[in-house]
Amino acid sequence: MNWNAADMNTYLQQKEYIDTAIVPLIKMETAEGRMKASASSADFLMNLSSFIEQQFKGRVMVTPPFSYSPSMDLSVFSSGLASDMADSPFRHIFYLTTDAAWTSITVKGTVLWLPPIPIENMDERLKHSILEDQLKQLLPSLTEAWAK
Amino acid sequence: MSSKVSRRQFLNYTLMGVGGFMVSAAAMPMIRFAVDPVLATSAGADFVPTDQKADDVTDTPVRVDFTIKDRKDAWYKSDVSNTAWVYKQGDTVVALSPVCKHLGCTVNWGADDTHPDEYYCPCHGGRYEKNGKNIPGTPPTGPLDQYEVEIVDGYVHLGKTMPNQLVK
Repeated sequence: MNWNAADMNTYLQQKEYIDTAIVPLIKMETAEGRMKASASSADFLMNLSSFIEQQFKGRVMVTPPFSYSPSMDLSVFSSGLASDMADSPFRHIFYLTTDAAWTSITVKGTVLWLPPIPIENMDERLKHSILEDQLKQLLPSLTEAWAK
Repeated sequence: MSSKVSRRQFLNYTLMGVGGFMVSAAAMPMIRFAVDPVLATSAGADFVPTDQKADDVTDTPVRVDFTIKDRKDAWYKSDVSNTAWVYKQGDTVVALSPVCKHLGCTVNWGADDTHPDEYYCPCHGGRYEKNGKNIPGTPPTGPLDQYEVEIVDGYVHLGKTMPNQLVK
């Protein structure tokens, strides 16, 4: 499910089935030299989130992406976000990010970190297979949580 | 005298000419609108080519990825990646949509080790038989949709989805 009115209606009717929230976290670099890489990884992350959404539409809700800039305090940001998400009806909460800083932060829920892959110049077929490979890496974390 | 056009005749002709022109200007769009439904091209004819050769299709479903180019969603144009499960039933090629009828996850053939000859939905354990029939007792309420299939030059082309016609 996506965070839009139509999917939210379905969610509200099928709450017992859609128990997982996926929260994309995007770091927006503001230094000119790093903007390209930042945009590229944001592109990758959003493509991956929508691919996950397509595969697991009936089980996950992909929230709007949360973005932050370099000087924002991640520990404050993460604890606020995580405690709000913990109050939500979702039983499993996954944070999806390409920013390695999140690996050293403890939040309620699971942080799924993966290295960004520049997919912007790939043709549709290659992009699809890359995203599929990435999802396979993440799949054990999801199924493990769901099996509980 | 008779070869000359009288003033009255001349006025008649011009009035008739101009009047006829004005009437036709009003009537032409009406006629066009009236026959428009007949002239409209049907949108159902959009078949998308895939890389799958029809001869290579067996009775075991294989995954076929295809891309719909330039799909228009309001003003937003995009390429949409799509998937189908394709197998042969007798001599006809059957293509099933991978979208689970429960809540829209993507199903996979043989993904569940305990039921290798079924489609399996990873979200809530929905299962389908090879022809798309949902297995009672699992969450889905209906059979998987079917794609319109066309074989062009030996390759499988896929059209729109339609309700499953294999399951009785």
